[in-house]
Formats: sequence, structure tokens, C-alpha cells
Amino acid sequence: MPTENSHIKILASAPAARIIARELNRRRFLGFAAAAGGAAFLAACSSPESTLSNGLESQLSMYSWGDYDAPEVLTAFTKDLGPKLTVDSFGSNEEMISKLVGTKGTSGYDIVVPTGPYIPQMVENNLLMKLDHRQIPNLKYMDPAFLGRDWDPTNAYSICKAWGTTGFVYDKTVITRDLFTWNDFFDAAMNEASGSVSILDDPGEITGMFYWANGIDWNTTKKEDIDAAEDFLVNKLAPHVAAFNSYPGSDAVPQDLQALIQIWNGDARLGISESDDPDKWVWRLGAPTTELWMDNWSIAEGAPHPKAAHAFINYVLEPANSLAELDYIGYHTGAIDIEQKAKDEGLEMLDMVFFTPDQIATMKDAEVNEAQERTVDIWNKMKAAAGA
Amino acid sequence: MSRLRLPRPILAFPAIGWLLIFFVAPVLLVLWFSFGYKPGVFQTHANDKLSFDRYAEALNPTFFTTFWNTLWVGVAGTLLCLIIAFPVAYWMAAKIPSRYRGLLIALVMVPYWTNFLVRTIGWQIILAPHGWLSAALNWLGLIDGSLDILYTRSAVLLGVVYNYLPLMILPLYVAFDRVSQDMREASKDLGAGRIATLLRVTIPLAMPGIIVGTLLVYIPLMGDYITATVLGGAKGNMAGVLVASQFQTAQNWALGSAMAVLLILLILVSAALAGLIIWLLLLPFNRSRRLVIGVAK
Amino acid sequence: MTSSGAIAAPRKNRKPLNLVEAGLGVWGVIVFIFLFAPIVVIFIYSFNSGRLLTSWDGFGFQGYEAMIAKPAVTSSVWVSLRAGVLSSVLATLLGTLAGVAMARRPGKWVIWFSALLLFVAITPEIVDAVSLLPWLVFLGQDLGLGIFNDGIVRLVVGQSLFSTAVVTYIVRSRLVGLNENLEEASADLYASPTKTFWKITLPLAMPAVLAGALLSFTLGLDNTIVASFVQVSGTTPWPVYVLSAVRSGLRPDIASMSVVMLVLTLGAIGLVVVVLKKAGDSATQIARTLAG
Repeated sequence: MPTENSHIKILASAPAARIIARELNRRRFLGFAAAAGGAAFLAACSSPESTLSNGLESQLSMYSWGDYDAPEVLTAFTKDLGPKLTVDSFGSNEEMISKLVGTKGTSGYDIVVPTGPYIPQMVENNLLMKLDHRQIPNLKYMDPAFLGRDWDPTNAYSICKAWGTTGFVYDKTVITRDLFTWNDFFDAAMNEASGSVSILDDPGEITGMFYWANGIDWNTTKKEDIDAAEDFLVNKLAPHVAAFNSYPGSDAVPQDLQALIQIWNGDARLGISESDDPDKWVWRLGAPTTELWMDNWSIAEGAPHPKAAHAFINYVLEPANSLAELDYIGYHTGAIDIEQKAKDEGLEMLDMVFFTPDQIATMKDAEVNEAQERTVDIWNKMKAAAGA
Repeated sequence: MSRLRLPRPILAFPAIGWLLIFFVAPVLLVLWFSFGYKPGVFQTHANDKLSFDRYAEALNPTFFTTFWNTLWVGVAGTLLCLIIAFPVAYWMAAKIPSRYRGLLIALVMVPYWTNFLVRTIGWQIILAPHGWLSAALNWLGLIDGSLDILYTRSAVLLGVVYNYLPLMILPLYVAFDRVSQDMREASKDLGAGRIATLLRVTIPLAMPGIIVGTLLVYIPLMGDYITATVLGGAKGNMAGVLVASQFQTAQNWALGSAMAVLLILLILVSAALAGLIIWLLLLPFNRSRRLVIGVAK
Repeated sequence: MTSSGAIAAPRKNRKPLNLVEAGLGVWGVIVFIFLFAPIVVIFIYSFNSGRLLTSWDGFGFQGYEAMIAKPAVTSSVWVSLRAGVLSSVLATLLGTLAGVAMARRPGKWVIWFSALLLFVAITPEIVDAVSLLPWLVFLGQDLGLGIFNDGIVRLVVGQSLFSTAVVTYIVRSRLVGLNENLEEASADLYASPTKTFWKITLPLAMPAVLAGALLSFTLGLDNTIVASFVQVSGTTPWPVYVLSAVRSGLRPDIASMSVVMLVLTLGAIGLVVVVLKKAGDSATQIARTLAG
């Protein structure tokens, strides 16, 4: 088997991979056309190598989170610039990476949308193509605060697509005191909210709470830090946890399923705005520190349509499109001056989308490092303790 | 027998070939990975040094605590499915005119043509603290205030039973359909009462279907880690989640493979044990079954 | 069965008998209500005009409009339906033949084959997924079998494994113990094995074949984990799309699409059922003759 020992390496050379991928794409479309029995469709697709008059390829394939872009922006892109867009979905970064690794550069995807900490390993394993900034002049509309993050200091491989942060919401009819910090969160969880606590189903977010609360570096690899986190989370917190839910804004908040919920900002905004009784929910940004996660526009190595991919990234960075994206998914796109435009548009609860520079200074970048195995282990132990 | 007969398993050759190529070959690879190790943060597995270390690593207290919970969900869920499906399948096969049976069979499947997550949302809306059921029960005066059923063990079982029920109903239906009415009536004509007919004729003849239904629910359920959690939350923690967390989040395919192998072995052992217990309990029926078949021939 | 009163049963037996029958009917209806309860909710919520599927705002057709405006939604459903039908046909074919062989040609091989099927059913999906992806890439690219680069083919392969085991088990459990008189008589009359299979064995197994086909189609529609790993560009199936769309909060168009998909599938299956009904009836008839 080719996978063994070679782990994650691309065997085919990049140009060869591109040709293979193009060929795959052509066959797939032929297959689809034959199935549909449309002769006209067949004729249209029989020359996929064709470039449009503006120099772009006639197709573009994007592999992203589902329903993660404003439909009108996608439609307008094809209308304005030509390339026909195919959108595929993944449910986790690991799934997307496995796919790119497994297909050895012939996945056929052009644009992928990885979360920041996963970018270094994708670069190391040659899964991403270097971006050509000359083809993305609209980079000038990006806020420098959201460029050059730890995982890609020069934005050679990625540009912010959307970013968010972690905090919590609580039901003030159940928790009548004021909560502000992660330590307040833990205290309420082990007292009045016991058995009605939901935390994110993500190991880094869970251990993160402990590190953020106690002033420990989130990316620590020190044994004593990890042991302390394990002891507290597994033995003290876990018995009070009712659910591990990454998207509680879709159900737990509008349906009152729990009283104390760790949650991402955009999800909290969505949940509270859709609650029958929005006033009873209080949102708090995690304190003293918390995280900044970022999903990024990147181009897969071996992408069959690199020009169209660059054109697409450039297109979504245009201020009007950026605003439409923000409105649709409810997360900050990292564009400069977008806060004022959003206010002018009349978007609501913007305090859960935009944060002050002081707040942003408390938000940390994650990294995937040697602590990952222990972190996953703690996560599994917590689940066992909470389920018993 | 000098008549023209097919060589023994020739009809099974296509299925055997298919499963060898697309199941055995790739899964043997996973077995191979389980003797390897994870060489670095960004790599999933390596096999240049072989050992049983991953098995030692996998056999920790968390694994057993989690497996114990899994076993509870698996056994309780399977039994509930059997208890609920048995009368329904019997009713469909024995009481419904044959021209409507196809329709009913299709109706059993229809709910599952909507996506798993979407069905789950349907249940959440019904069972939420201030949801539909809560409103109905409040109106009837049966409860006062919010309904606290989600994220309990009952909710775990509800999610499991709902999603696995057709895997029990269909094999049972097919088995009951086979036990013809004439046979049951013959039994009654011979003076056997209703219960005796059920115990001595219907159940023994439907036994292959009962076994298949039980296996088709129990076996996949034990490896499933999503169904029990969607309505049950933390209470629905299953051993499969350990395997998935290694393959996906920790990206440690070596440890994930070892855990998968152990999980598969434990499920097999538990199924074999359960089979043995049931066989011992059913010894009296087995005797009467032989008798019935003897009569029929 | 209600006619059984005509058989000279002692009078005292009649009353509990009817009670039992009524009980069975009531239980059947309750179970069907249980099965359809969440589906009814989803049907109603498909007309939710709000932003979130789970939170009712008002009545409207926005969900249906949005669904049509998103090519990713419609194409994923189309992918799922095609892969579902193809994998169901394949699994039914393989499973029926194997089930007949197990029931009619028993021997030592049956034990080995049963063990194989058991392993297929027992292997967690994530294991199938991580092992199948590199294997299909190996077949498709290193061995040059281009067919395995096709997204639909990959989905069909992934979905067919468990389904084949299910169909085999169900067909076998139907045939085993049904005695072979008819098949033997047919062979006695020098009918070819193929003819005996088509004219006698298959009609006998038909209820199990249909149930198995329906079940494998249904299982295929829900296949998420394996599908998410083996899919290629342009073949994201519906469950993978839905799972992935939770990141930005499921919208009512997911419910609208579910309803449309259910209606479409129901229509298609309805057609098939009408066509196959006669076959099913005659199978029941033959089974009855046989057993009697």
C-alpha cells in the first residue's frame, strides 16, 4: 500500500497532478452528462480546458463548510466573471485534510477553507499552493489586525475568510448573579447550573477554558499544566456537564435546553436573536483571555483552476461582497471599516460580531502541537465521567 | 441426488468477491496500522517498528468505563427495539390484508428518508423543555412547568430506538410473513391455545428473523457513537467516540486502529455471551421446535 | 384472521382473542405515530420563515425559495438519490444471491461467510471510512482503474458494504427452513437451475428481497461518515452537506429540501410498488401453498 510509511506525501508531481485532476473533472462531468442524457450539456463540457475571454478557467471547485457563503455572492461571481462554481462540503478540518492527503493532489478541489492552526501541517505536507498576491489586489481592504496571524505570518497560503471567538451565555432566570470570567463560569457550573451545562465538543476549547481562566499559555506542552487541567476538568467539572455541543446556538439557546453554555460568538448571536425570550440570555466574552479562531481562504496544491480561484478570493474580498458574507454567516470577515457599514445596514447585536482592540488583544491563536494527544485524552475522559 | 444442482456457494461468489475487495482488503490495513505508532504531530501512522504497545495504551480505565456505558445502551436499546417491534411486525404480517402490506413496509421506511440530523431536530422540537409535548402535558394537567426529558437516559434510549427500529421491524416482518396462517390455524385446530401457538409455533419458526433483527440492531449500535448522543447528550457516551477521536481529532491512526480492533472483539464477545444465555433460556422451545418441524414434514 | 371465529372454537376463547387483536392494532397505530411524529414537525417547520430551522418565526415559503437558489443543496440531494438507488440495486443483487446460497447450499462455508458478514456489520463506520479512501485512491490512480475516481462509484462502494450484509441476512432468514419441495420438484422435472431460481426461489424470497432493497436504499441515504471521506469534487451527498451546514446554523431550507426529497422518493417508490405488487402477492400465495 502506498499510504504506509509515506504517511502524507504527494507522490505525483504538481503539474502531473494538475493534469490528472483536470482529467478527473472532465470524466466526472461526462459521466454526469451521460446520466442526465443531455446532449447539449455534453457539448458544453466537452472542452473543459477552455479559458474564458478574461483569461480565467471556465470552472471552479470549492471545498468548504456547508452553507458558509452568501448564495447571492456565489451567483454573482459566476455572472460577473464567468467560471461555473461547484461547492462541496466537509464537517471538520481533519476530514478535509484526510481527503487532500488521501487523493495525493488530485482531489480536484481549487479553494479550501481550513481553520488557522491546521495551516502549518497542510503547508508542511504540501497540501496548499502559495497565493499570488498580485492576483488578489483586494487584499488592501483587509484589516491588518486579521492578517499575519501566528500560523501564516506572511499570508503566503491563507487569507481570513471569517473569524470568531469563544465565550458563554447564561440564562439569568436560573443564574441570578453576574458572571464575567471563565472562573465564574466554572463556579456556576458546579453550583446553581449543575446538570444544565453545555460545553463545546472540541478538546482544545475545553482545555482552553481551564488555561484561559488560570493564566496558563493555551498552547502549553508542560506536563504539570496538562495534569492540572485534567484533574480539574475530569474530576470537578465533568460530572456537572449535560452536553458536549459545538453549535448550541441552533438548538440549546432558542429551546432553553441548558442554562449555562460555552459558545462561539456568531452562534450565540444567532441563538439569542431567535430565542422567544432574548432578554433572559446574557452573553459574555471569555475572560481574562479567550481564543481567536479563523477560517481561511486557501488554494489546494494541484488545483485545476488556479486563476479562477485567485479571482474568486479577490471577488469575495470586495467590500460589498464582504458585507454580504458577514450578514449571511454572522461572523466578522476581517475586512477594514466593515463595522460602520454593518451599522449603516441596520444589522443587529453587533457587539457579538465586532470587538474592541482591547478585547481582541485578549484573544489567543491556537496551535496543533505535541499536547494534542493528551488534550484528546482529557476530552475522552471527561465524556466518560459525564456519561457515567 | 442425481439431479442437476449448482455448485455449493456459487451464488454467493459475487458478494464474497465484493466484500473481499472493498471490505477485507482495506480493513486488514487498519489491523496492520494497529501494530505501528504515530511518528510525529503531523503524521498519522508509521509501521517501521512493530509492537503491541498501542493495545496496552488503548486498554485504560476510560476505555472500560466507556464500554460499560456502551454495553448498557446497546443491550437496553436492542431489547426495547425487540419489544416494540415484535407486536408491530406480527400485526403487519398476520392481521393486515396482503395487498396493504407492501404499503405498510414502505411506510416504516418513509421517516428515514429525511436526514438523520433533521429527524433529530424534529424530536428536539417535540421534547424541548417548552416544546410540543411539554405544552400538551401541561394542558392535560399531567405536568406543571417544563419537561425535563432531553439529556437523560430516557432520551438516549428514545434516540436509539427511533433510529434503529426499522432494522428490527423488517426482519421480524419477513420472518412472521413466512409462518403462514394455515400453520397457526392448524395448530389451533389441534387444540393448542393462542399462547401455546405463539410460543410453540410462531416464535420458533420466526426465530431466524428474531436473531437477525437483534444482530442488525445490536451490532451496528455498539459501534455507533452519534445516535445516542443527539438526544441524550453526555449520557449517551459510546465507545465508538474513542475510536473516532483518535482517527479524526488526535490523528493517531495507530492507536485508533488498536481501539477499533479491541472494540470489535469486545462486541463479538458480548454478542456471543448474550447468544449463549438466550440459547440456554430457550432450550425448552428448541425441543418443541424440532417437534413442529417433524410434524410439518 | 378475523374469520377464525368460524372455526369451531370454544366460546370462552373468543373474547380474549378479540381483545388481543384490538391491542395489536392499537399498538401498531401507536408505533406508526411514533415513527412519523418528528416528520410531521419537520413538514410544518419547512414553512418557517425565520432564520433558524429550530425556531419558529412565521409561516412562509422562503425555505422552498432558498432551497432552489442554492445549487449546493439541490445537487447534493441529487447525488444522494442516485448513489442510494445504485447502491441499493447492487446490494440487493449481491445480497439476494448470497442469501439464497446460504439457505439452500448450507455447508462449512456458511459459517465463514456469516463471520465475514458479522465483521462487516460490526466494523465502526469511521474504520471503513479511513481505510476505504486510500484503497479507492490506490485502485483508481496507482492501478489506473479510472472508474474508482468517479464520485458516485465511490459512494456506491462505501454504502454497499453494510447493505449487502443486511440483505443477505434478511433473505437467508426468510428462506431457511421454508422447505425445498417446490425447488426439488422443479429440478425433478429437469428445469434448469437458472429457471428454478427465477421461477421458484426468487418469488419465494421476494418479500425479503423487497424489504432488503428498501432498507439498503434507506441506509444509503443516511450514510454520512464513509461518504464524507470518499466523496470527490462535485459529489457531496445530502447528509454530508447537512452535517457541515450546522457551522453557520441550519436554516429552514434544510427542512424544505427534506420534505421535497421525501415526496419525490415516495412517488418513485410508489410507482415501483404498483409495478411489483403482483409479484409480491403471488409470492405470498406460493409461500402459503408450500407451507400448507
